[in-house]
Order: sequence, then C-alpha cells, then structure tokens
Amino acid sequence: MNVITNNNMKCAIALAALKNVVDPEIGLNIVDLGLIYQLDFDEAEKITYCSMTLTTQFCPMGESITHLSEETLKITFPEYDTKLDLTFNPPWSHERVSEEGRKFLNKR
Amino acid sequence: MNVKTGNTGTSKTTSWKVVLPFYLYAAIAFFVATILLLISAPDITKHYFTPHVLATTHIMALGWGTMMILGASHQLVPVMIEGELYSDNLAYISFVLAALGIPLLAYGFYVFDMGWPAKWGGGLVISAIVAYLINLSVSMVKSGHENIHAVFVFTAALWLLTTAIAGLFLVYNFSYPLLPASSIAYLPLHAHMGIVGWFLLLVTGIGSRLIPMFLISKYNNIQQLWWIYGLINGGLLAFVFFFLYSDSRLLLVLPLLAVSAAIALFCNFCYRSYQQRIRKQLDEQMKLSLLSVLMMSLPLIFLVLNIISLIILPKENTKLVTTYGFIIFFGWITAIILGMTFKTLPFIVWNKVYLRLAGKGKTPNPKELFSDKIFNRMSLAYISGFLLFPAGMLLHYTFILQSAAVLLILTSFLYNWNVIKIMMHKPVLL
Repeated sequence: MNVITNNNMKCAIALAALKNVVDPEIGLNIVDLGLIYQLDFDEAEKITYCSMTLTTQFCPMGESITHLSEETLKITFPEYDTKLDLTFNPPWSHERVSEEGRKFLNKR
Repeated sequence: MNVKTGNTGTSKTTSWKVVLPFYLYAAIAFFVATILLLISAPDITKHYFTPHVLATTHIMALGWGTMMILGASHQLVPVMIEGELYSDNLAYISFVLAALGIPLLAYGFYVFDMGWPAKWGGGLVISAIVAYLINLSVSMVKSGHENIHAVFVFTAALWLLTTAIAGLFLVYNFSYPLLPASSIAYLPLHAHMGIVGWFLLLVTGIGSRLIPMFLISKYNNIQQLWWIYGLINGGLLAFVFFFLYSDSRLLLVLPLLAVSAAIALFCNFCYRSYQQRIRKQLDEQMKLSLLSVLMMSLPLIFLVLNIISLIILPKENTKLVTTYGFIIFFGWITAIILGMTFKTLPFIVWNKVYLRLAGKGKTPNPKELFSDKIFNRMSLAYISGFLLFPAGMLLHYTFILQSAAVLLILTSFLYNWNVIKIMMHKPVLL
C-alpha cells in the first residue's frame, strides 16, 4: 500500500479503520482504491494529518467521502485532533488501486 | 511534515435544490409525451407536420431531453470544468423560464395556434437558454481550466440557442413573412441543428467524460475527441451552408459522412474505454447507456434511406422521416437518459439525505434508493416499445403503433415511479 507515514503502527490502525469507508459508486473502500496519500501523527500536538484524494475532482460523492474519512479517524484516535487535506496533486490514477482492489473490481 | 491541513472544501458540488426540479420536470414531460404518442398514433403515419406530432416532438426534445440534460449539466459542470457552478440563482431562473415556456410552446403546436402561446413559449425557452449560457460561460472563465468536455458543452449550448432562435423565426414566419419560403421548408435545418448541434455534441462531450469515469477506464484520447468535435461541427456547418445555398441534394452526403465519422469515432472511444476498464462487471444502468451509444448509428441508416428517397423519389417519404425522428428522440436520447438518470440521481439524493449522517451509523448504498426490479422491467418495456414502433410505422399498422405507445407509457410510468421513489427517500440508518 503506497501511503507515506511517520508512524507505521498507527498508520496500519488508521488504514484498517479507513477500510470501512467505501466509495458508494464503485463499492470499494478508499484504502484499496488508493485515495489515501499520507498519514502523519504529531505526538506532541496530538494531531492526525491525513492527505487524500478523490477519483475525480468535484466528485459528487466527494464531500461525503471526506466527511466520513475525517469522522473515522476521529473515532479511531479519540485523543487526537484530525486535520484532513484533500489534494489533487498528484491526481488519482488507476495505478493506485491495490491488488486486492483490482481483484474486487474484476469480480464485480 | 508535508501535509497541508484542513483543506476539505475544494470539491463543492452543485446544490441538489438546483438539479432536482429539472429531473422531476423531465420525468413528467416524458410521461406526457408518451400519452400524446398514444393519442396521435392513428394519425402519425400521415405526415410529420401535424399539430400532435409537433407537440410530442417538442415535449420530447425540450421537456424531456433538454430539461434532463440541463439538470444533469448543472450537476456535472463542476466535474467538467473543474470549478464551481457560478450561480445557483441563474440556474433557478433558467429552470423557471423553460418550465413555463415549454408547455406554452407545446400547447401552441397542439392546437396549432402560432399566436401568443407559441411565440411567448419560444421566447421564454430562448431566455432560459441565455441564462444557462451565461452561467456556463462565467463558470468556465472563473475556473480557468481548459477542458475539451467543457468546450463540447459550451458549443452545444450555442447550437441550442441557434436552434431555438431559428425555431422562433419559424413560428413568427406563420404570422409575418420573415423568410423566403414557408416554415415547413426550414424544418430539416431547425431539427438538425438541435439534434446534431445540441444533443449529439452534448452527449458525446459529457459521455466521453462519464463513460470512462464510471468504467474506471485507463483509456483517454483527447486528440480523438477533438476530431469528433471538428467533424460534428464541420458537418453541421456544411449542412447549414448546403441547405441554404445549394439545390443539390447529393451534397448533403458530405455532412452525413462527417457526422457518421464522428459517431464511429465516438463508438470507438467508448469501445476502447470499455476494453481498458478496470471495473469488469457492468451494472444495468451502464449497459443501457452503452446500448444507447450503439443506437446512435440507427438514425444514420434512416438518414441514408431518406437522402436516397429524396434523390430517387419525386416527393419525400414522410413515414421514413417520422420514423427517423422517433428513433432519435425515443431512441438514443431516451436510452442514455434512462440509463444515466440512475447513475446520477441516487447520488444527488443520497448526498442530500445522508451527508451529515455519514459516520453516525450504516447508511444504505445510493444504488439501494431505487428498485432494480422496476428498472429492469422499465428497460424491457422500453426496448419492446422502441422496436415495435418503427415496425408499426413502416407496416402502416395502427394497432402495432398503439401497442408500442402503451409499452412506452409503461416505460415512462416505471421510470417516474423510480425517480419519485428516489426523490421521496427518507433517511434510514441500518
């Protein structure tokens, strides 16, 4: 999984939680879809930083996907604040879909 | 740490309040048009220039096709131009003007009164298009992104305006001799500017964005899209020129070839997108949308037959012309709308109902907002009615025409059922 992080253990926990956030149109979770670019944890300030994208800019479901991702991170790390950055640089590409994601899309 | 923070507001989409009235209006217009089709079935084989056929055609073209496309386009403009819609108020104004103008115009045709209802109706429709064009232009300028899909949409809207202005001229020509010939002589010009300039250009422009997006396809070929754009506009401009300044019917083959090549290229674009898709299984809505792409080639066959009959016969074959019109408005335009409605509307309503509930519990999937069973029955009724109607036209058999019209009424009824089911959805946490 191509996600940049400064804390591998917390990143794994966050990604496991974010696997519950599903793109409703595609039916695949945002982690296997490759929408998460970076997850950093500021231990001093107790802040979770998440950088993510959408499959297309101005995706009609974008607001709900980012909202749900933010809520999921807040629930997973209740003692941390969450700061979410939606970026389109670089834009999402199909190459970011994980092997599991590809298998899922091949089946559907 | 390279992560910028707190920036989640860059994906602002158009409000559902702007979009839903267009969808609802279009759905009702489709139902009305199919009822009118049944009423006019006994007369439809006689001539296409009859009050009922004109009224049905304008309800299908404006009330159904255009209103649906305007609604979807307000929703999709941000996706196309990678920027926000400039003004919700202009969108409301556009809706109200068109919503008032279309029934007036249709009523004018239905009773064949080219007085104030048709004139005011036409004027209101033109004002609605102007409001839409202003909104689109300012949105494009403000976004600052150059995008071929937006160029398609903008040019299509210009053709729509030209078509509507030409149509109003034809209406006024009944009262005042503005044009050198009768209005009926200019119908092919008015119709093809609308069909090719507005519908074909818009469907190819939006389709080339949405089809790869929904298929999650790796295929993209901007150069191919520019060729499609050039061939459609070049072909249409050539048609307008030959129609107005040449007596040779043989020359009409040139624009036909250009538009045929554009449709072939678009079919190729969709096929390659389909081949290079990551998402292997297609849902029923995508299947119907892709079927509509194939259905684009059907009018070309009838157009060739029309041109041949114009060349070899002393007068035009009106049954062929009416069938040609039917397979455009009830064919690919309707098929793509039937498919794409359920790829867009459930998500718009889902966002309206569940956006703030996200994370509070398990929510239904947007696809669960409508009934698949009703959708499948609607598709079956539609395909049966669509195939039966041209058979009734060519065989000159009223019972077949009426049966086809009943199947299309059933289609529109089931379509409305699902649309209303989506729109009336109340929040449910599973």
